[in-house]
Amino acid sequence: MASQGLVYDGCNFFRQRLVLSTLSGKRVKIKNIRSKDDDPGLRDFEASFIRLLDKVTNGSRIEINQTGTVLFYQPGLLYGGSVEHDCNQQRSIGYYLEALLMLAPFMKTSLKATLRGVTNDPVDPTVDLLKSTALPVMKKFGIGGDGFELKVVKRGMAPGGGGEVVFTCPVCRTMRPVQLTDPGKIKRIRGVAYSVRVSPQMANRIVESARGVLNQFLPDIYIHTDHMKGANSGKSPGFGLTLVAETLNGFFLSAEMSSTPQGQGNPVLPEDLGRNCAKLLLEEIHRGGCVDSSNQSLALLLMTLGQQDVSKVLLGPLSPYTIEFLRHIRDFFQIMFKIEVQKPFEDERKGGDKVPQPR
Amino acid sequence: MEVKEQKRHQAKHSGPKAQKKLKKQGGSTEEDECKRNPKAFAVQSAVRMAKTFHRAQDIKTKKHHIPLVDRTPLEPPPVVIVVVGPPKVGKSTLIRCLIKNFTRQKMGDICGPVTIVSGKKRRLTFMECNNDINTMIDLAKVADLVLMLIDASFGFEMETFEFLNICQVHGFPRIMGVLTHLDSFKNNKTLRKTKKNLKHRFWTEVYQGAKLFYLSGMVYGEYQTQEVKNLGRFISVMKFRPLVWQTSHPYVLVDRMEDLTDPERVRTDPKCDRTVSLYGYLRGTHLKNKGQVHVPGVGDFQVSDVNFLPDPCPLPDAQKKRALNEKERLLYAPMAGVGGVVYDKDAVYIDLPANHVNQQQEEVRPTTELVQSLIDTHATLDAKMAASKVSLFSGSVTLDPTDIEQQKKEGPHEKQVWDPNTQRERRAVVFTEEEEEEDAVTGSSDEEDDNSEDSEQEKEADEEDDNLSTFLKDARARSERTEKTAPPVKRQRVEEEMLVFADSEDDLEMSEEESEEKGQSGRAGDSGHCSEEDEEETEDEEEEDDDQESDDESVEEEGAALMEQTASESEEEGEKGTLKWKEGLQQKASEAFLRHQEAAPNLRKLVYGSVVEADDSEEDKEELGGLFRVSRPQKSKKFKANAVDCSRFIPDTSHNWDLEEMLNSIRDCFVTGKWEESQDAATLLKEDEELYGDFEDLETGEVHKGQTGLQDQAEVQLDSQELEEDSESLVKVDDEEVQKNKRLDKKRRLKERFDAEYDDGDATYFDDLKEEMQKQAELNRAEFEDVDDETRVQYEGFRPGMYVRLEISSIPCEFVINFDPHYPVILGGLGSSEGNIGYLQMRLKKHRWYERILKTRDPLILSLGWRRFQTIPLYHIEDHNGRHRLLKYTPQHMHCGASIWGPITPQGTGFLAVQSVAGTKANFRIAATGVVLDLDKSVTVVKKLKLIGYPYKIFKNTCFIKGMFNTVLEVAKFEGASVRTVSGVRGQIKKALSTPPGAYRATFEDRLLMSDIVFLRSWYPVSVPQLYNPVTSLLLPVGQKDNWAGMRTMGQLKHDLGIRNKPNADSLYKSEAKGISTPSTFPKELQKSLPFKSKPKQQQSKGKTPRDLQRPSVIREPHERKVAALLHALSTVHNYKRKKAHMVQHAKHKEFLQQKGKQEEAKLKRQKEARKKLYRVMGQMDRKKLRSSLKGAPQED
Repeated sequence: MASQGLVYDGCNFFRQRLVLSTLSGKRVKIKNIRSKDDDPGLRDFEASFIRLLDKVTNGSRIEINQTGTVLFYQPGLLYGGSVEHDCNQQRSIGYYLEALLMLAPFMKTSLKATLRGVTNDPVDPTVDLLKSTALPVMKKFGIGGDGFELKVVKRGMAPGGGGEVVFTCPVCRTMRPVQLTDPGKIKRIRGVAYSVRVSPQMANRIVESARGVLNQFLPDIYIHTDHMKGANSGKSPGFGLTLVAETLNGFFLSAEMSSTPQGQGNPVLPEDLGRNCAKLLLEEIHRGGCVDSSNQSLALLLMTLGQQDVSKVLLGPLSPYTIEFLRHIRDFFQIMFKIEVQKPFEDERKGGDKVPQPR
Repeated sequence: MEVKEQKRHQAKHSGPKAQKKLKKQGGSTEEDECKRNPKAFAVQSAVRMAKTFHRAQDIKTKKHHIPLVDRTPLEPPPVVIVVVGPPKVGKSTLIRCLIKNFTRQKMGDICGPVTIVSGKKRRLTFMECNNDINTMIDLAKVADLVLMLIDASFGFEMETFEFLNICQVHGFPRIMGVLTHLDSFKNNKTLRKTKKNLKHRFWTEVYQGAKLFYLSGMVYGEYQTQEVKNLGRFISVMKFRPLVWQTSHPYVLVDRMEDLTDPERVRTDPKCDRTVSLYGYLRGTHLKNKGQVHVPGVGDFQVSDVNFLPDPCPLPDAQKKRALNEKERLLYAPMAGVGGVVYDKDAVYIDLPANHVNQQQEEVRPTTELVQSLIDTHATLDAKMAASKVSLFSGSVTLDPTDIEQQKKEGPHEKQVWDPNTQRERRAVVFTEEEEEEDAVTGSSDEEDDNSEDSEQEKEADEEDDNLSTFLKDARARSERTEKTAPPVKRQRVEEEMLVFADSEDDLEMSEEESEEKGQSGRAGDSGHCSEEDEEETEDEEEEDDDQESDDESVEEEGAALMEQTASESEEEGEKGTLKWKEGLQQKASEAFLRHQEAAPNLRKLVYGSVVEADDSEEDKEELGGLFRVSRPQKSKKFKANAVDCSRFIPDTSHNWDLEEMLNSIRDCFVTGKWEESQDAATLLKEDEELYGDFEDLETGEVHKGQTGLQDQAEVQLDSQELEEDSESLVKVDDEEVQKNKRLDKKRRLKERFDAEYDDGDATYFDDLKEEMQKQAELNRAEFEDVDDETRVQYEGFRPGMYVRLEISSIPCEFVINFDPHYPVILGGLGSSEGNIGYLQMRLKKHRWYERILKTRDPLILSLGWRRFQTIPLYHIEDHNGRHRLLKYTPQHMHCGASIWGPITPQGTGFLAVQSVAGTKANFRIAATGVVLDLDKSVTVVKKLKLIGYPYKIFKNTCFIKGMFNTVLEVAKFEGASVRTVSGVRGQIKKALSTPPGAYRATFEDRLLMSDIVFLRSWYPVSVPQLYNPVTSLLLPVGQKDNWAGMRTMGQLKHDLGIRNKPNADSLYKSEAKGISTPSTFPKELQKSLPFKSKPKQQQSKGKTPRDLQRPSVIREPHERKVAALLHALSTVHNYKRKKAHMVQHAKHKEFLQQKGKQEEAKLKRQKEARKKLYRVMGQMDRKKLRSSLKGAPQED
């Protein structure tokens, strides 16, 4: 009668599974979550993620066994509305926001999510990065219009948190089929160098060093400095840099780096950070593609959920996360992507040309 | 639609008309009317002009439809034509006639769908719909065209209207009415009248001008040929509208069913679940393998396998001819026993009529030849499949022969056994899998020097891959001999791994060390980098790892482990391999790119694993002797499974961005870098020059030539010189090609420019949209055009128009046992979440022709989506404040809400409801229709609940009330709630009291009486009963399929069991009590006009004297009593005396009056006599006077 759910092992790709389960309506069971670990079961941040999922859906059923090593999730209806969530500080808001970006266009009512917690940490894509790359990707698919925005109200660095982000997204009836095959050449590089609870000079030092690397390629570089003060600066000190390269065809490749959280690991010099971040951007450019490496899965999901038309997107080398995502898409939606490698006629192009045929 | 050009008017060249025209032409030298009479065409009113313009635009835009992407398949599936009508109306006859018309074949019983080729581009599937409402509902969902047969001699019957209503709910297919039995009319006038009446009634039901066909009479039991031919023409040119449900769901109208269950299992357990394969044309949209389907009348099933088969009824391929020849007029109806050769995935069935076989034995030979050829074609098809595999991966240069081997082995080509079962007429080529286990055992250790006959032969077969058909024949022959099949695929795989292992033994130790060095950074491996060789190495390393971890394992298990491991793992490990591999080349980026290029064909395998064989049957490989299971610590896998969930792609550390080479490698990514030839500014400028360079200076007359032309020529010359040096004529040809292409390119660009300038004038938004859709459609078509079907199916699913075979395991045995081909079997594909069950909110309206209203909680059978199911609805209506109030019954003529527990169906899907599907009743069966509004899982239906309490203590406005609640806690929940008395005094619950549990204090706006009743009005949420009971009508025995009975309603139950409720005595109706009559009232005006005796008497009974007016009774003292007695006595005496005196007085007066009367009388008498005397005298005197006067005159007397 009802479809029997999918079963997975381990807590890796936890978000993917739950998000795809919610979107496809298939129930999912995740077993052996850190079962061999000293500290078995779900972590706080995962529990927090489940709670967020529960807030945006209606009628979801979640069962967790006593040790927290087995999770059963029966998705409900994506409802949306106004949601406030205090994200766990083990992971940054980016962790939660990535999933929310995938779900938001398919809600029943438009979503207005206020997320509180860590906005920038070195592990997850930061809010700034998602703002500058994920939103343009979604706009390419026809999501957007009025009220599609991501606002950083307060910034909060890694251990302490205290940041706040408001994400609003309207309901999107249909995804547009896209042909994102020609990225074009990079015309400008923009960026944000942020610093909180440290000297405002830090940001300038970051900018200086980053420009030093990037100026070899392009003169059109502008990096904002964003120093937040007082109540908007969160609870911990830190600084970081987000760089975005925009191509002629309106695609964005990005890289970012933030300082190590206070009290964890060696402190980083802002100059090093700027230079390394610039190199990361070069690496990202080296990989190429129309969608940068952290948003590959988002683009693929939107292609999957669009109409049954052919969409094409050029990606850089597939990240392990994306590969797993592709497999999960096949599990949940029975959709396989046609993956081809584009022959590089020019020495810097890399990656594959993926052609999906949804439904 | 193209307007047909009519015959032109022929202009006269001579005669009076020509002369007249000539004269007219000569005369009308002045301009046209607009110029001649400018005032008449001047703008009179700007407003009016604007209005007319607006109107014109409105009309224009109204004609537009939202453009949709054209998704119709190139070779569409046959059109489903459902023939509907009440019994004995001529359905089968019509189908038979139509089939005869199209294919010149006669059919007996119409069993199941009949597919025919009707034209060069159209196939038709006829299906007869019997009088069962289940069938009607199912077929209305899959029909493209409905032929609605109506018995004209009888008129419309209920079934017709029922079917029309079903159609309206489930998307309206094309409907064409066909009137039959017209020959029963003797009178021509009544015939015409009936036709007209029926037509107009039909029009109101379908649409104005709907086609109604007349079949006037029968000739030898068939309809007239000409009329059938006309009908056939109508059908074969008809266009169909896309229906929302049909275009968004894949579905198959099954035309063939085979039971695949092991006969032994059936013998031991006749009731075991069956495995069946169902065949049919796929319609609607793409079908994914392993999807969920619903079989209306049976239930939901997971499809275990889907294959596509060669079309049994293909369209003719040559398009030149005008008409079809006899061979192409195919007919396919396996359920009716027509169709000759039937293909299967692994078998071919040929139906020979029984009488043919015994007649001539010689004729068997050519038949077998035919069979042989058929099987051969089948084999080549398989070969094609196998070949396709090769071609898929052969694009890369680095493919190892082992790889090719492996891929070839994946094809299912060697597994055929041709079993010539000569006892029966049917012959089958059967696939058997008995050999699997045996081979798995033998292939454990010594596979390379395989001695077993089978595998050796198989190797041979692999070698001669160029001649697959011969191989297949060999294999068939072999299998005939030994009745054994080739070893299964898995074993082959193992073998392959073994080979690789042997090859690359030497470089394993290194990788192990390196992997340790790498440590964490190994995770960062980018997936795209793995080449084919890398992959192999990776696998080798893994094997090595495994070896070190568990030495005692057999090689076979290693292979198994490899299979299990996910590709991501291999990718992870792959990085280690690559490190070693590229030791010397790390600096050279170009080398790296070469590597990427090599990685090309691997990506798909990397992501999805080997697609053809999904990793199935992991378990049986791990088992050792069926008893023990080897548990192996898979460290890497566990680590991976519980790794940090992060989308960030940690960069490859091998790139050193301080080096100039690396920087240079991406320099062209920026606008400042080098541009491609086609986009370079210099080339673009040059092109512009080419286009616009040539011009003639008009003043001087000088002609400027574009320089580029010359340059080009120069280049060409140079080129040609070079070529001459090479002296290769071939290259020259190439050069010419290039030139030609260049020219064409230039032309195209010029045309584009021209188009851009002049064509885009009146392109509207609508046109743009349409063009965009067109482009998308082309793109969709183009994307998979050149891919072979086997691969294409994996990407986009099975596309509509394919003839597919779906295998379903665990279907109830009744489906097979009670199979009746007259009933349609439909496989309806379900969307992603449509397999789930949840709460649905719907809008429902009782059908106006249904006689009764529907009761809440009475089970109802709904037809929603593909499904028919029984459920328990709750009816509700929305109050003004958005509250959903439960209704006991549906309103008569209004929509109401209904909440059910049922299958999740997209919003906006229509449904219909029937009370019962069993039997045929006289009246209209469709109880209600409606639409799904919402899938909200939180039910918000509430019903009113009045809690009643009684005051037991009344202070001024405060009151203690008991009897409403039972505990203090309950009261606490309702603190602050408003309460009311029956008389309308409002109040509020204040606080619970301790002593009688559940009592509370409340305040009111006025003082209550003890007799008042206090009530609290509240709303209680109602939960929807979770009944979802699919109508399993197809499982019923043959002949009883229309007798499905589900849950009975409460009323039916009581009726059946003879239970009667004891009614509340108060609710019973009683005769009116006597004596109590209400006074009738009359209007005042009427009262006035009535005579007195008829006027209502307004005598009110005297009311009681009010208390204040009542005098207190006086109690006298004894003395006073005496006095009073005396006074009373005295007054009595006095009264007596007075009375006596009065009487005396009265008598005296009477006497006096008598006397007086007498006197008066006498007086009157006297006066009378005196008057008499006087009058007499007076009379005498008068007479005298008269006489005297007469004396003077002549005397009279």
